[in-house]
Amino acid sequence: MKRIYTCFLILVLLLCGGCSYGKTQNENASSSCDIFAMDTYMTLTAYGKNSDRALEEAENRINELDKKLSTGSPDSEIALLNKNGSGKLSDDTLYLLDKSLEISKETNGAFLPTIYPLMEAWGFPTKDFKVPDDSVIENCFSLFDTDLINENKKEGTVSFKKQGMKLDFGGIAKGYTSNEVIEIFKKSGIENAIINLGGNVQTLGKKPDGSLWRVAIQSPNEGDEYLGILEISDKAVITSGGYERYFEENGVTYHHIIDPKTGYPADNELVSVTIVCDDGLLADGLSTALFVMGLDEAIQFWQNHSEMFDVILMTKDNEIYVSDGISDLFSTTYEMNVIER
Amino acid sequence: MNKKDIMLMITMLLIAGVCYLISNLTRNENGNQVKVSVDGKIYGTYPLYEDREIDIKTDKGNNVIVICDGSVSVKNADCKDKYCVKQGHVSKKNESIICLPHKLVVEITGKNEADKAIDSIAK
Repeated sequence: MKRIYTCFLILVLLLCGGCSYGKTQNENASSSCDIFAMDTYMTLTAYGKNSDRALEEAENRINELDKKLSTGSPDSEIALLNKNGSGKLSDDTLYLLDKSLEISKETNGAFLPTIYPLMEAWGFPTKDFKVPDDSVIENCFSLFDTDLINENKKEGTVSFKKQGMKLDFGGIAKGYTSNEVIEIFKKSGIENAIINLGGNVQTLGKKPDGSLWRVAIQSPNEGDEYLGILEISDKAVITSGGYERYFEENGVTYHHIIDPKTGYPADNELVSVTIVCDDGLLADGLSTALFVMGLDEAIQFWQNHSEMFDVILMTKDNEIYVSDGISDLFSTTYEMNVIER
Repeated sequence: MNKKDIMLMITMLLIAGVCYLISNLTRNENGNQVKVSVDGKIYGTYPLYEDREIDIKTDKGNNVIVICDGSVSVKNADCKDKYCVKQGHVSKKNESIICLPHKLVVEITGKNEADKAIDSIAK
């Protein structure tokens, strides 16, 4: 008889194991909203009693920034500056100019806000893609020098010393916007939130249940599981890869991250760069810059700035390099190397 | 342990195994849905585990969504960049396919909050 009881016990245990999921009920009030802005799709989720109002405020702020910064809409501040070669800018746009020049200098031009004429030559803004002639690329090189940007801080005006120069803050605009959204949430008393602006993730606090947010990083390899999963709180997680925006011509794939030094899409060992940082704007700019730098230079750059951010790199050989500040919080099925300080 | 006991044990284990399988399968069927929205408005919600083709025709343009073997893709679209078609298949909770020109979002949603679910995807 004892044996029969044992069998029943096994049966009960197995059945319980099979149905112990799916009972979690969220006690916290939460609000979410989806927004199409900045030529991308955004989702915002905030927890807490002021979340509805905070989301509304955030949405207004996003639309306000979109209006100012969109190179695509002809009457934006940035489009007018590019068209006229001079113009008066709002505090937001001036702030982005200063920040982008700072990152450009720090990354030795791997991030470059004056690259826009070359992006136009490749057809990325209009999606009329084409490989530009060498002479066109050469001409664009002559418009890159950031010292030719004249800024009058008192008047809030900016002008270019050379005709044809154009600025684009697309490389940091979403990062700045996610910083601003998180600030709005903080001021509204929100303690837990996660936002995703076209693949740029930023988190506030932890999850309402006190656990860390689980952010997956998309793999560049098709049909793949994620590149890996990162557990974080209070951080921006921003990835750059050549697999998101690209086109093909004569059997060759050209992606949208152009190396300012060659004038062609960055072509090195790296296929994906993720920056983890308190500051979404910095993470946004650095993800592009480190992608352009390539593996060795990116590792070196992190080692010189390890207090500012953490990094996850993936190479063409499917090897992953993770900086030691987050290696304990990152899991992946790929071969993983830890970068020491 | 006599023969009858062993038979009983095997039967129990078999029953348990079948029950476990059934509950697992129904979890998937109940759990994951494909939510299609256009310009923020829900167009429709479909079970991920029922094969079908959905023709989306709006004033912004057309997309053909295919649900097959538990994964979703956009088969055809008349948008300019075709990024939605190039994005390939998605099958896991919180994954999505987006067609910006048509403001179309195809998203996998789950009723069950699995312990190890992903909160967001960086790309």
